[in-house]
Order: sequence, then structure tokens, then C-alpha cells
Amino acid sequence: MGYLDEQFIQLEDLQDDANPNFVEEIVTLFYSDSTRLIRNIETALEKYPFDFCKLDDYMHQFKGSSSSIGAKRVKDECSQFQECCKARNIEGCIGVFRQVKHEHATLKRKLETYFQMGSPEINLLL
Amino acid sequence: MTEGGINGFSSPRADVFPAGLRVLVVDDDPTWLKILEKMLKKCSYEVTTCGLAIEALDLLRERKDGFDIVISDVNMPDMDGFKLLEHVGLEMDLPVIMMSVDGETSRVMRGVQHGACDYLLKPIRMKELRNIWQHVYRKKIHEVRDTESHDGLEEILMMRNVSEQSDDGYLLCGGDMTPGKKRKDAEHKYDDKDFADHSSIKKARVVWTVDLHQKFVKAVNHIGFEKVGPKKILDLMNVPWLTRENVASHLQKYRLYLTRLQKDDLKTSSSGLKHPDFSPRDAAGGDRTDHLKMQQNEAVNSYRPPSNLLLQNANSRIHEVDLKGTASLQKIEPKKVLTGFAAKSHKASCSNVGMSHSFGSTQYSTYNSVLPTQYSWNEGFTEIQFKQERNPQFQVENGFADLGLPPLQQHNQLNLQPLQPIANGLFGKERDKQAKSSSGTKSSFGSYSLPSQNLMPSFQPPDPSFQPPDPVTSSTWSLKDDQQTSTDNLELTAFLLQGQNCPSTNLDMQNKGMLEDNDPGFIAEVPPNLYDALRFDYEFPDSLEYPVIDQGLFIV
Repeated sequence: MGYLDEQFIQLEDLQDDANPNFVEEIVTLFYSDSTRLIRNIETALEKYPFDFCKLDDYMHQFKGSSSSIGAKRVKDECSQFQECCKARNIEGCIGVFRQVKHEHATLKRKLETYFQMGSPEINLLL
Repeated sequence: MTEGGINGFSSPRADVFPAGLRVLVVDDDPTWLKILEKMLKKCSYEVTTCGLAIEALDLLRERKDGFDIVISDVNMPDMDGFKLLEHVGLEMDLPVIMMSVDGETSRVMRGVQHGACDYLLKPIRMKELRNIWQHVYRKKIHEVRDTESHDGLEEILMMRNVSEQSDDGYLLCGGDMTPGKKRKDAEHKYDDKDFADHSSIKKARVVWTVDLHQKFVKAVNHIGFEKVGPKKILDLMNVPWLTRENVASHLQKYRLYLTRLQKDDLKTSSSGLKHPDFSPRDAAGGDRTDHLKMQQNEAVNSYRPPSNLLLQNANSRIHEVDLKGTASLQKIEPKKVLTGFAAKSHKASCSNVGMSHSFGSTQYSTYNSVLPTQYSWNEGFTEIQFKQERNPQFQVENGFADLGLPPLQQHNQLNLQPLQPIANGLFGKERDKQAKSSSGTKSSFGSYSLPSQNLMPSFQPPDPSFQPPDPVTSSTWSLKDDQQTSTDNLELTAFLLQGQNCPSTNLDMQNKGMLEDNDPGFIAEVPPNLYDALRFDYEFPDSLEYPVIDQGLFIV
């Protein structure tokens, strides 16, 4: 499926008796923090003239954050967005950003299901 | 894992090394911060987390000797990760590892140039974190060897014992200490008594505060860079508790720092020359000289411990020439230019080269002569990097390179353009960017197309016996002044941080630092022969003495 990469597995490996809900905590933290990052990008996309440097910077942060939970598809869309920034293609940016948000939301739903259902489901995501 | 203490004010537990390694993690991303904390704890390290660079610095300052290593993300909101890196190196002299989701070569290069001992790409793996202790260990070993201090000895010995006892494969066996110690003894002529005394007392690490450093720089300037020596500086500084060893190691760092600073300046001012190929050590050398000059002018704030050779050469040259920075250079006074250039441009260009070592020494002698052959490869090296962009005003084909002094750009500003040969692949981008920001004048170096790749490998470690000339106190590197001032404080701290990998950082300095607009970047393109000389062993200046003048290096 390619929604998640091996970073997610690593998170699972980190989970232990000291932190029995580690993965879920991390995912929750990610989703709450990424709301802020998404908002930054949305705001920057509405501001004219477009500041591609800033857009790239915000996306860089978002990408870094997404890499923390192994959100592969989201990361890929982030990279695409950055390419559009380099090309100063605002329409491209807007279009890709929609994709970014879509992947971000889809993953969230799938992970929520996963946390409710348990381990076996993870294979569907990797 | 935390043997040391509960509240973080623990002392290192060398006997169980690397467990208990005190790590400070700095990252503005809360998710990563939490993950890294967990990962490090799993490695049995003692972790402290920080979401802001400023916070991290405060913490480090508060708890002197409270941490063994710092891991920081490159992109921090309140401060550039590289700046933090410099500060930590200068003030606390701790190894710093940079992290980023961006693995672009240029960024990694910058990290290394600024002194990072490693650069990790996110997502970070456990196995990468497990091994970070090596940087702490390595630093300790080098410190003991280089600074003549016995502070680290005990710790290292303990670490060594641990490794020998440990079953773990990854622990080192500490054979290092002995050779290091022996070498130290041999080189520094410690007598047994001294050594014994030292080793029984664990000296506190000297923290080079801004004040102390200012005193240091004043002393250095007063004595004269060429003549400076730890003893003289110590005497002038009049700080009773400071030892000659402290000063000696700080002097070394200072030189490297200056070199690195030069490079940075060059980098920022002109196109970003990135010299990936430059071996760290080499690079350091060049920058130093330039920096040295600049720094001096600037009042020392940001000094980078230049690598010995280049700096020295540069300095001596500067003295001679009384370089006035670009102005004089531009004037096309070949002689003057040369010298000045040597000093200056040299810095810019040389710094990167870092080739100073042998170069420096040999060069030094000839340094005084007009022709900067001496510089030769240092300068040349840097030149090589720069040369691409410059206008071939100079037509310096051969001599120039050796001189190391970038041919006087009489006509134009030396644009430190990234050395094309070297930069082509890597820095193409940088270069372009830089080009825009650079002053726009091309150095008039001829076009030396030194195979950058070759340059790198040919760098040889600085000749230990080389006694770099003391930096010219009067340094005329006024060019940098403008740039420096703003970063002075940072630089100062950065300098203190340097401890780490000076050489690597110097690369950057070459062009950037030195040749600002006013500085006609002497980035001489290294003539092919120079290159060879560099490559193979430049020792000789004689062979490198190119008839630069004849070649019309100087545009008269």
C-alpha cells in the first residue's frame, strides 16, 4: 500500500513496557502538530505575491515531521510540492498541496483504525 | 542508563562508557524530539531535550560540563542550526551532530564546514544513534593529544578500561591512549613529574569566555601574529590560573577558526564556494590566514581557528604587504597586491584549501617575496576553487597558483566564485546562486582548470613542524570588517566551539569570507603546476616559484 515506511516499524520497536502506547502517542503528537504546519502553508498560499522560499521552508518542516512517523505517501507529495516551489509554479503548488492534505487525512483514518484493531492491520499500510 | 544523576547535572561516567552518555537533543519538531529521546534512552544515554536553539545554548552555558554531545536539527526557528553549531563548538567545545530531512550535499557540506562531527538524515535509525559515542571518544583522544592537557586522560583511560572489559563489540579497545600519550610526551616534552602531577588532578576544562578570549586576541595582536607563541600570549594575558597548554590549544583553535571564518565570509559574500573536495584539514589552513586578518581587524570576535599553515602564510604576507584590502589590490601594484593578496586573498582562497601544511611552511619563507609563490598551493588551492569565475585578468598561469595569492585582481573584484572544477558537479547550484550575490567582479585569474577532484586527495595534513606565522595583528583585512561585525559575537563563540573539525569548515571560508566586494578576491586560479605541486607534495616552494610576475599576474 505504501502508506507507511519502515520508520513506522522502528517506532513500534521503540514501544516497550516503559512506554506501552508509544506509537499511538507519537502519531497523536504528529497529527496535532501538523495542523499548525498545514495552516502555515495554507496562509502562505493565499498571500500574494507568493513567497516560494517561505512555502518551501514550511513544506520542508512538514516533510520532516511526516518522516517521523514514516508517512511515505505524504512525504512524496511534500517533495513534489517542493519541486513546484523551485519552479515557482504556484498552481502546481496549490494542486499538490491538495494531494498532501488528502494523503495526510487518509493516513490519519487508517491509523485510527489500526490503533483500534491492533497489529495485523499494519500490513495493509506498509 | 543514567548513572550520573537525576537532574541532569551529572558528571560523565567513564567507567560505564558509553552508557550514560549525556546527550542534548535540539529540535523544534516535537514529534521528532520525543522519538529521539526515546531512541537515545534505549541506547542507555542520558537525554535532555530542547525545542529551541537559544534554550539549548542557555542550558549548555548553565551546565558547563553537563553534556557530552549535542544533536541538533539544522532548521530551527530561532537560530540557524549552523550558527548554534558554531556556538557550541566555540563556547563548549562539544561534538555536535546535525540532523535534517534534507540530505542535499551542499547542506551536508555546510554542516561539516561549520564543524559538525556528523550529519544524520531523517528518518534516523537506532543504529546511527547507538554509535554517536564515538565522536565523544574521538574528541577526547584528540584533545589529549593536541592540547597537552591531561584533563581528558583520566576519562579516556577509564573509557579504555571499560572497553577492554566489555564484551560489547562496539566498544573500542583503548589502545589509543598510549600512543597518544607517548606522542604527547615526546612532542611536548612533559617530564614525568609533570605528567604524574597532572594526571592525578583532574583539571577543570578551561572555558574560553568572551572576556578571556578578548584578552587572548589582544595579546596575540600585540605580539604580532608571526611571533605569537603560547608562552608570550600567556604572559601578556596575565591570567594567573591559565596555563600555557590552555593557551596553546586555544591558539590552535583560533587559527582554524579564523580560517574557517574567512571561508564563511567568502561564501556568504561571494558565490558559495563549496569545496567538497577539499579535505577538511586543508581547507582549514587557508581560511585561517584570511580570517586571521579579518578577525584582527574586527576585533577578534569571530575568529576561526585557522589551520596553521595558511593562516600563517597569509599573515606574514599581510604584514608585508600592508594590504589594504581591495583598494590596494585593485590598484594593481603587483607587488603590493601580491603580498596583500597573499595575505588576503589567500585567506579567501586559501582558507579553503587548507593545504597549508606543507605549503605553509615552505611557502612561508618565500612569503615575503613579492611573488606569492610561497603561498602557492595554499593559495592556489583556494584559487582553484575560485578561479572559474574570475576574469582572466591575470593571466597567471603558473606562478600564480603557487603564490597562492590570488592574483591581484587589480581590475576586478575577486569574485570568489566557486571553483569550477571542483564545484561543478556539486555546487553548480550554489555557484549560480552565489554568482548573483557576489560582487560581480571576476577575479582575474586565469583559468586554471585544476581538477578539483584531485585536489582533494592531495591535501596533506598540515605539517606539524610548520610554525605558522603569527597572524598579523594589524591585519588589513578590513574587508571583512563589515561582514564580521555583525557576526562577531557569534564568531567569537563559534571560535570557541571550533574545537571540532576546523579543517572541514574552512573550505567554505575561502571565497566567501575573504573577498567581499571590497576584496578583490584573490582567488588565483591555481595553475596546473601548482596543482601538481599540491598534489604531490608541495614542499617545495622552489619548484613552485613561478615567474608570476612575468606572466603578468599583476595587472599593471
